[in-house]
Amino acid sequence: MEYSVLGKKVRRVDGAAKVTGQAKYTVDMALPGMLAGKLLRSPHPHARIVSIDASAAKALPGVAAVITAEDTLKLTFGNWRRYPHLLDEHPLAPDKVRFIGDEIAAVAAADEDTAEEALTLIEVEYEILPAVFDPVEAMQDGAPQIHTGPNVRNNVSETRHIEFGDVDAAFRACDRIREDDFSLHAVSHAAMEPHASLAQTDTDGRLTIWTSTQVPYYVQILLAHTLGMPEGKIRVIRPHVGGGWGGKIELFKDQYCAARLSQITGKPVKIVYTREEEFSCTRRRTPMKYHLKTGYMKDGTLVAKEARAVLDGGAYNAMGPTALYLTGFFQMFPYDIPNYRYDGFHVYTNKNPSSAMRGFGGPQAEFTCDSQLDMIAADLGMDPAELRLRNLMKPGHEIKGYCKVASCGIEECIRKAMKSTGWKKKRGNLQFGRGIGMGCYGFMSGGVFNWINTPYAFSAAMIRMSVDGFAEVYVGSAEIGQGSDTVMAQIAAETLGIPMDMIRVTSGDTAVCPPDLGAWGSRQTLMTGNAVKMAAEDVKKQVLEAASGMMEQNIVYSYDMRDGKVFVKERPDRTIPYQDAVKAAVRARGGLQIVGRGLYTPHGKGMVSPAFSFGAQVSEVDVDVETGKVSMVNVTTAHDCGQVINELGVEGQLEGAFVMGQGYVLSENLATDDGKVLNPSFVDYKVMRAPDVPLNFTSLMVETYEPEGPYGAKEAGEGLTNPNAGCIANAIYDAVGVRIYDMPITPEKILAALEEKKAAAGKKKPGKKPAARKPRKPARPAKKTRK
Amino acid sequence: MNRMMISFMLNGRRIETSVAPKTTLVELLREHLGMTGTKHACDSGACGSCTVSVGGRTVNSCSVLAVQIDGMEVGTVEGLAEGPDLHPLQEAFLDHGGLQCGFCTPGMLMSARDLLRRNPSPSAQEAREAIAGNICRCTGYVKIVESILAAAGKMREKK
Amino acid sequence: MKDFEYIRARSVDHALEVLAEKGESAVKIAGGQSLLNILKQGLMAPDCLVDIKGLEELDFIESNPGTGFRIGALTTHASILDSEVLQSSCGVLASMERHLATVQVRNWGTIGGNLCMADPSSDAAPVLIALGSTAHIRGPEGAREVPLGEFFLGYYETVVQPGELLTEISFPAIPPATGVSYEKFRNVEGDAPIVVSSAFVSLEKDGRTLSDARVVLGGVASTPVRATAVEDALKGVKLTPAAVESASGLVAESTSPIPDVVCSAEYRNKIARVLAKRTLLSAFEEAKAAVGGKKHR
Repeated sequence: MEYSVLGKKVRRVDGAAKVTGQAKYTVDMALPGMLAGKLLRSPHPHARIVSIDASAAKALPGVAAVITAEDTLKLTFGNWRRYPHLLDEHPLAPDKVRFIGDEIAAVAAADEDTAEEALTLIEVEYEILPAVFDPVEAMQDGAPQIHTGPNVRNNVSETRHIEFGDVDAAFRACDRIREDDFSLHAVSHAAMEPHASLAQTDTDGRLTIWTSTQVPYYVQILLAHTLGMPEGKIRVIRPHVGGGWGGKIELFKDQYCAARLSQITGKPVKIVYTREEEFSCTRRRTPMKYHLKTGYMKDGTLVAKEARAVLDGGAYNAMGPTALYLTGFFQMFPYDIPNYRYDGFHVYTNKNPSSAMRGFGGPQAEFTCDSQLDMIAADLGMDPAELRLRNLMKPGHEIKGYCKVASCGIEECIRKAMKSTGWKKKRGNLQFGRGIGMGCYGFMSGGVFNWINTPYAFSAAMIRMSVDGFAEVYVGSAEIGQGSDTVMAQIAAETLGIPMDMIRVTSGDTAVCPPDLGAWGSRQTLMTGNAVKMAAEDVKKQVLEAASGMMEQNIVYSYDMRDGKVFVKERPDRTIPYQDAVKAAVRARGGLQIVGRGLYTPHGKGMVSPAFSFGAQVSEVDVDVETGKVSMVNVTTAHDCGQVINELGVEGQLEGAFVMGQGYVLSENLATDDGKVLNPSFVDYKVMRAPDVPLNFTSLMVETYEPEGPYGAKEAGEGLTNPNAGCIANAIYDAVGVRIYDMPITPEKILAALEEKKAAAGKKKPGKKPAARKPRKPARPAKKTRK
Repeated sequence: MNRMMISFMLNGRRIETSVAPKTTLVELLREHLGMTGTKHACDSGACGSCTVSVGGRTVNSCSVLAVQIDGMEVGTVEGLAEGPDLHPLQEAFLDHGGLQCGFCTPGMLMSARDLLRRNPSPSAQEAREAIAGNICRCTGYVKIVESILAAAGKMREKK
Repeated sequence: MKDFEYIRARSVDHALEVLAEKGESAVKIAGGQSLLNILKQGLMAPDCLVDIKGLEELDFIESNPGTGFRIGALTTHASILDSEVLQSSCGVLASMERHLATVQVRNWGTIGGNLCMADPSSDAAPVLIALGSTAHIRGPEGAREVPLGEFFLGYYETVVQPGELLTEISFPAIPPATGVSYEKFRNVEGDAPIVVSSAFVSLEKDGRTLSDARVVLGGVASTPVRATAVEDALKGVKLTPAAVESASGLVAESTSPIPDVVCSAEYRNKIARVLAKRTLLSAFEEAKAAVGGKKHR
């Protein structure tokens, strides 16, 4: 079917505001009489709080309030309302601090300087406790215990087990087995807009908070919990948001403290994290140690896989336990592996908490999976692309008890990417120093997880239509830059058959919009999109009913809307302006405005997601063999996102995901020493810049139809973070024949591996790609350096 | 606290105000003058979100003291459009998807305009280097470079 | 950032007067591209900031075919990059400036400020030392000149005293049969260099034998360093890629890197060796071309 706005390149609905500087983000907002808030953070990785004396800070002129745990309900909180044993964090630490940056107190003062000064006047007496920074050490008997409780043993806060098939029997029966160890490091979301909140408490006790979040509804209900207030008295407004990537899917301390301080002072309180706080004190991507064992046949059929992951969770669970599950789950994607076993351990350490970040455990899984697949291919003397093609999931793939994969375009993705890049010609045949590699992935389109324990639908939408034909779309989804408001406007416009400029989307205001779980796990297009489509159909039905009364056609005919007109389907030349029908409908019901409602909750969709997207990526790299530096030459990505809604948006998401992934592999590293973040600034934390990205970036769309998605649409933009590490690692191997097992893949590690290889080769010339017939030992991790 | 009077042109309008010497230009713009189009993201001159023009060339306004621009001309994203008409760069960013979350966009646009003023026909590589001081965490820069080149083409056509 | 008194200098003499009056409590600010970060972090908290950025008398680029080049200390990086005279007769300086930091920093930051900050991985210092530059300093006692190679005392420390100003950098015209090159290593563009190398190579009339060489490395010690062992090993030698490769192996005799969050000390040495080799070879090529009578630089 030919759509009028779907599948096109459309301008963002929030674009004009953003290019003119008119768009207001939380950091831009101000209210008269506003106070500045600042947080006091622990300088120690692990310590008991003996006493806090805030009297000098309170006495400082200009200080309006100082709060500590004594001013809170001392409740633990988190997204895990359905699993209370995982709730381990307090708004302000009542008795113990567990990482450098743990929040102890907050100040509201006339200005930031006064608030800063007040922080220095708060006297905290600590009893320093031994700390542990490595998750494997933390699991040993005798390690410092970071949390105590019936569910925590030796710092393991959560374990996850996935198993199907007969893994042991399959390993016994397979031709060959490969085992490898990998380690993955921490990176930061580093959103351009920091966490920020502005809270105001009215005289009647109602609270309004403007905040930079991906989850307005979570913030509302978790503030209600931690403040001991009814949800209905809290209004969360999400202005424009300067990026999230999973770093803003929880209740954060800026939100709680701004709210609490505004209650106490009766004045608006604004808290904006500094860039240093962003890097040191918010969340990070979970570092992992992976052991991977794969059994396969000589013909390349994968028959069994066993994965064991130890996650460096940091000081609190945050959303780590979901990363724990998803890394084990996506480890098998997009392959059909009949026998699989995963054991994951989420371990506390005295570092800032690990949590959700774009890919949510997927990038770690795919680095290990894709790296090992290429080693297996080398072992078998097979083209790694052929090995992948041999073992793919197919449409209709089911993992009993876990998921059903309805649409699946992975095979076409691989074939398209191979064709577009000239894979067959290039792989193994490029000059020494240049290489080509592949990575593949599958990802979710929204989680079926209801850890937050909401009784509401996962997504809901409401559309009001005015008599002049404008449609106001209300959704609780979170536009955070990913383009969801534009997608919702397109879906509403397409369904209603009216131009996009007749649509206005209002999202992320809990007092106005229906509840929605927010922007995480790539859920907005599928889930909120379904709700919008249903609401628009509801509106359209009401308009068409009125139109049928007006047009007086043969009763056997039916009606639809397109191009701003109601038309008779069987006699398309018979039309009326839809506004006339809207007016008639309103008059007919005594002036009641047309309102449509829609909702979506996945039912019977297993344990993970109602739909899965797929993709294949091919990277071509140059490796400077004297320095180890990697430069990207070409990148081609083929992505199956079902029906494309906004092509401009999908391409932009794919490009952005790739470059964020490129940074994850090649340059970004949130380094710590004894729990202290060593590079908490954009000077020292190295993200990719424009000249670093590949000059040639090709996005290929593989359109499938996902029956569960609105118009067949599903995820785009998060999943592509997953294959970068393995893809680039494989390209490096193709270029210079070295395999790096510990991320990030720095020039220093590549150079060391090249030297090691040269030394091992002895008199042999540094020939290209010695066939890897035998399993290789993991490269030794690069020496730890201290500042 | 000692304060100093400064006078400067902001997007073609004269501003006279008093500032503390330690106030940076970005703080003056955002917090004193309410010009929040310019963003403040790293406060260390590393990300380019606060890029404005001073005396016709771009600077990181977090790395310039407000007192230092006394007597100079300052341009921000709010001054990019001429009346109701968007600047060709703004149009191109909209048409080519040169923005997502939009937080780096004001600084990115200022850097792009600086480039096109000096070099009306930049190559892709020149465009990439011109925005090396502007971090974008969303787009991967691909569509930003496309937008700049498209705007350059439109601007050449107009002339 | 702590409050401070701000004084905008009207002239070099005025700046020196104010500095004399304020003593150690005053700090000079030019472009402030690094200084402001230091003040924001509280690593320095002066009572008074003396702004010299607007001193037009120190914003100049002069070229004299006989005596060489003079660059005022308050010349911005952008001005140096855009200078036609430098582009045509000292291309290496323009190529260094083209990738120094970012456009925004180049537009406001000054060459003198860069040198006085004395960041050991500064882009500018190794090239200027390789070019044989002299730092011109004025103070209450009058003017003095210091070879740029002796200008740096340690991390973020130079010979310029609190009451003094760096006023200009001068360097001789590039002699005949000479090539000067520059290269830096960094993992991410727009980022500070990890290691910098600049090489100055003069050849005998035969177009092969090295008569004079300077190899200057940044990012491998507390100051920029001359790789004297490399230079000595090549003096009087007929240059070949092999000879350069072998001599470059001696860089570590001049370096004393420390490990940091970016990389290990050993890796810095490895990169220094590669960059020394590469810059020597490209300077050699340029010098050969100069001997051959082709226009160079």
